[in-house]
Amino acid sequence: MNCLQAEENFSAHLEDALDYQTLQRFESHIAECPTCQREYARFSESVKVSQQLPQIEPSPYFIPTLQQRLAEEQRGTLSFWQRLQGIFNMPKWALSGVMVLLLITGTATFLYHNDWFNGEIDPSNEQISTPRAGLSSGSPSLNNQFLPRASGSSDFSNTISAQPMQQHYTLKRVSYSTVSTGGGL
Amino acid sequence: MLELDDELMQRFQKGDEDAFNRLARRHQQPLINFIARFTGDRDNAEDLAQETFIRMYKAANRYKPGRAQFKTWMYLIAKRLCMNEIRNRGRRDRFRVDNIATNDKAYSANDEQIDLIATAPADAAFQPEVALERKELRDAIQKAIAELPEQYRFPLILRDIQGLSYEEISKILELRSGTTKSRINRARLMLKDKLKPFMELL
Repeated sequence: MNCLQAEENFSAHLEDALDYQTLQRFESHIAECPTCQREYARFSESVKVSQQLPQIEPSPYFIPTLQQRLAEEQRGTLSFWQRLQGIFNMPKWALSGVMVLLLITGTATFLYHNDWFNGEIDPSNEQISTPRAGLSSGSPSLNNQFLPRASGSSDFSNTISAQPMQQHYTLKRVSYSTVSTGGGL
Repeated sequence: MLELDDELMQRFQKGDEDAFNRLARRHQQPLINFIARFTGDRDNAEDLAQETFIRMYKAANRYKPGRAQFKTWMYLIAKRLCMNEIRNRGRRDRFRVDNIATNDKAYSANDEQIDLIATAPADAAFQPEVALERKELRDAIQKAIAELPEQYRFPLILRDIQGLSYEEISKILELRSGTTKSRINRARLMLKDKLKPFMELL
C-alpha cells in the first residue's frame, strides 16, 4: 500500500470498516510512514472536532411561527364551500339554499329595474333603436318622439341622455327634411 | 413510549394535525443545524426549515410509510431548498460564516461565558485562554466546512454533524454507496488541510 491508497482508507479505518486484509496492509504502511502517521493523526482530530460542533438551538418562535404558517396553508387549501361554511357556520344544504335565494332575488331585482317585467313595448324605445325608420315616413310629428320626456320613466331619460350626439343629429335631419318639403326651397 | 416518525405521519395522514406538530418539534433542531451549516446563514436557516416543513405538510398524502424514512425525505427536501437558496443568493455573500457566529452568541445569551462556566468545574486544568481558542477553532471549522464544494459539503455535514448512516446519506444525495463513502473521505481530507493552521490547538 502506498501513501495515496492509505489516504483513501483513512475514513474506513477510523470507522472500523476495513476488511482484515486491507487493515493489515494499512497498518503496516502507517507504521513505516511518518508522513501518513502525522496526516492520519490530523485527519482523526479534525473529524473529532467537527463532530463536536455545538448544535444550534432553534429560536423559541420557530414552532409557533410554523404552526401559524401551517394554519394559513390549511385555510389556503380549503374549497370555496368549506370557506363559506367556516364563515357562516351552517350545513352545506342550508348554505346552498341561501345562495340560490340570493341569486333569485338579485336576478329579479335586476330585471325589475330594467322594466323586463313590463310586457308592453315602449314605442319610443323602438324608435331610438331604429331612428331611420322614423325618418323615412317624413312625418314632422316624429320630432316629439325624439325629445326627452319631461316626466315618466326616468330610465328612458337616462337612455336618451346617454346618447346625446345621435339624438341631436337625428333631430337636425328631421327638421331639415320637414323644412325642405314644406318650405319649397 | 416514543412514537416512530412513520406512525406519526400515518396519524397525520388520517387528519391528526398534532402528529405533524410533534414531528416538527422532534426534527426542528437537526434540520436547522443542517441548513445553517450548509448555507452558513443562521437566520435564513429557520426560514428554509419552515419552508421544508410546509412542503412536507402539503405533500404528506404522497408520503408512503415504510418506503422512505421521514428523516431521509426531510433532508432531501431541505437539500433542494438549500441548493436553490445558494443559487439565488449568488457568489457575493455565499458564505456568511460571521452570521452563524454572531447568532450563536445571540441565542445562547453569552456563548463564551457559558463555555467558560461549563468547562470550569469539570476541567481541573481549566484555562480561559484555551476555551477562547476552542471558540476560534469552532468558527474556523464552520468556515472550512462552508468553503467546501457542495458535493463534498453535503455528505460531510450529514455524516459528521448530523450523524446519519452511509445508507441514509446515499438516499438523500441520490448517490451510490461507494461514491458517498469516497466523497466523505475526500471531504474530511479537505477539511483536515484547511484546519492545518489550527492543528496545534487540537
